[in-house]
Amino acid sequence: MTRASAPGFPEAQVRQRAREGVAAVFAPLETYGDQLFGAGADQPPAPDGIADDLDRAVVAPPVFMPRRLEKLIDLGREPLHDDVDLATVIGGFSSPLPVYVSAFGSTRAAGADTGIAVSRQAGRLGIPMVIGENLVPVTGYRRSEKDRSPILERLRAYAGECPPGLGGVVVQQSTEDADSEVWNLVYSDPSVAGLLDSGRLGFELKTGQGAKPGLGGMTVVDPAEAARLDTRFAVRELPGTGGWLRCATPGTFTEEILRQQVRFMRNNFPRARVWVKFHPGRDVAAAAVTAWRAGSDAVTVDGAQGGTGWAPRAFLGRAGLTLGECLRRIGAPEGCLLASGRIWEGGRAVRALAMGATAVGLGRAALLAVDEDPEHGLIRLVEALALEARMLISAVGKYHSRLLDREDLWWPAPTAQPHPVDDPTVPTLERTP
Amino acid sequence: MSQQEQPAAGAVFRPDRLGEHLVAETTRAAMLVQQEALYGVRDYFRGRGFTELLPPMIGPVTDPGARGAKALDVDFYGHPYKLMTSAIFYKQASLKGFPKLFYIAPNIRVEPPETATTGRHLVEFHQIDVEIAGASREDAMDTAAGLLTHVVRHVLDTVPDVLAGLGRDRLAFAELLAGKFDSCTHTEAVDRLRAGGHPQSPDAEIDWAGERILSLEADRPFFITDYPKGSRGFYDSEDPDRPGVLRNFDLIAPGGYGELVSGSEREADYATIVTRMRESGENPAKYDWYLRLMREGLPSSAGFGMGLQRLVRFLTGLDALWQVSAYPKLPGTVSP
Repeated sequence: MTRASAPGFPEAQVRQRAREGVAAVFAPLETYGDQLFGAGADQPPAPDGIADDLDRAVVAPPVFMPRRLEKLIDLGREPLHDDVDLATVIGGFSSPLPVYVSAFGSTRAAGADTGIAVSRQAGRLGIPMVIGENLVPVTGYRRSEKDRSPILERLRAYAGECPPGLGGVVVQQSTEDADSEVWNLVYSDPSVAGLLDSGRLGFELKTGQGAKPGLGGMTVVDPAEAARLDTRFAVRELPGTGGWLRCATPGTFTEEILRQQVRFMRNNFPRARVWVKFHPGRDVAAAAVTAWRAGSDAVTVDGAQGGTGWAPRAFLGRAGLTLGECLRRIGAPEGCLLASGRIWEGGRAVRALAMGATAVGLGRAALLAVDEDPEHGLIRLVEALALEARMLISAVGKYHSRLLDREDLWWPAPTAQPHPVDDPTVPTLERTP
Repeated sequence: MSQQEQPAAGAVFRPDRLGEHLVAETTRAAMLVQQEALYGVRDYFRGRGFTELLPPMIGPVTDPGARGAKALDVDFYGHPYKLMTSAIFYKQASLKGFPKLFYIAPNIRVEPPETATTGRHLVEFHQIDVEIAGASREDAMDTAAGLLTHVVRHVLDTVPDVLAGLGRDRLAFAELLAGKFDSCTHTEAVDRLRAGGHPQSPDAEIDWAGERILSLEADRPFFITDYPKGSRGFYDSEDPDRPGVLRNFDLIAPGGYGELVSGSEREADYATIVTRMRESGENPAKYDWYLRLMREGLPSSAGFGMGLQRLVRFLTGLDALWQVSAYPKLPGTVSP
């Protein structure tokens, strides 16, 4: 265990789930019968500026449940929460759960062992996994047998555990990765042929960062590393710290550039799935529609939350739309919509699904979970999330995650109005604390 | 050539039996045809004011290409350089001193293994690379058609016995020698394929199976023009009157032999090139030398590359491209 930490994130809860799995969904058994539970006391309030209105939404079960009646007729008995079907297709990949593992960057927190452990457990779960940007320009691709490339190691670790017909691996490429031709390297690598031949390889065009929308990836490196990376990245000294900041460019996108890049991906890699990831930009609805119409299999929206890299304080919670606002602006999605940002338990996951997402991504939560237990942490965390999701979805009288709808949510405080999809120019609404 | 006579994928190349391949009768015949084809190429261009240059082999960048082929890296005094996948940027740069030029250019493209069975792909191959300052796409198409016709006639005249020994019927070239080249747009080609039940994407290159279908249906060479943006390199110019349509072309051989030539009118405007680089996912910073030349001003031009091994395969009628290379390197196969 490396004791990675994530200030501002409910780390203790994630670690508890990684240790205890579904047991952590409930209060300790010894309190049963003695303690009365209520919202607030059992759930620490989200720190100021990081909470988003998706967390304010309340799952609102109805009294009358025609969908439950359908299920009752189907089963010939009263349905239970474990009758909820969570299996879905995520960006072209079959998944037993509406959950995938988001990319971690090339930073130390997502170092080699953690990356491998995540890959192995995601593979065992059969859920899709995204492999992060900048891994190749930072660490190289094919190295000696002793010192293997992290990207290939993660691909192999995942493929070695994943049941046939489930899951898939998506490899990101950003501007600096394009210089290293990451997609070409992966696409023609014999060790990846199994995933490609079974239709379980995808590529994700990364257009931005959730934690610092509008900026590229940033990591802190020592002077020697800074010198080594100088030809591939902009490297800037951090005065007074002894550290250096490695800055990736975010890349320049216009509607036409995005459309053509997606077409290029489809043209060049016809056997790979195409995903596009956006930062929580104010025009995210227009961007998502452009990507779907150009043929991308999934659009990921990364809410302004956090990440493994370095982000300026001015950005944290103060730049970029919240995940809830992104989903609201996108409205009814034209294609597969994936949501990530501060997802770790079933409640926020179900709220994101009700707002239109097909699946949710686990980023920091997955890292913390394998940090807690490299063998089972992620699996237990996901099992707990799935149990909660099943209970919440059955509570609104539905038995498949795709049936969730905005009607299943209630915002107790006044909130932003929905925006039409075809109006990308609406200004950012002021966030309520 | 009828559907029944179509070239099959051919026998499998055994990299551990390169010696047998080098002494095979078909290899010897193919090399004799290649020699005459090269003679015919040079003969054609010398009479038309072209200069033959020898292309560079490595550079800080190379043609990013398309369709999943990757460039090989070399360490050049500590700098990551590429082996040429094509020398397109150097062709354009050379126009400053040589307004009509050609190369017989060696190229290396590490094609994805899925191209191993097309019979039309090699990792190491050569292109007859042509660039003409001030030319339009139509000029380049005329030059490509003229070159092909000249080379076919030269080979038929000089090594008829070799072709006969390979069982290649002179009649296969009758339409070509009569000067009949057809032409259709990419949209028309897509429509034809889809009407025939082939699921061709309208936004992408004609896929390998689709190209084969179209080639098998033809009895003479034909051009496909107007590829959509997103299917070709950033240097193919976009039609100013039809956004999204490129002023480019392929020349497809009949009989299942597929594409022989790719060419286009080139984009020569600096700002447009930078934008187009982004549209194809490229980082303009790595094209520094090329963009500096572009800012200074490069002549407008059109040009093309004709695959030498594909040309020789078409001439010989052999089943697969590896049979016309002395040292074949097939996609996905590690070879000496």
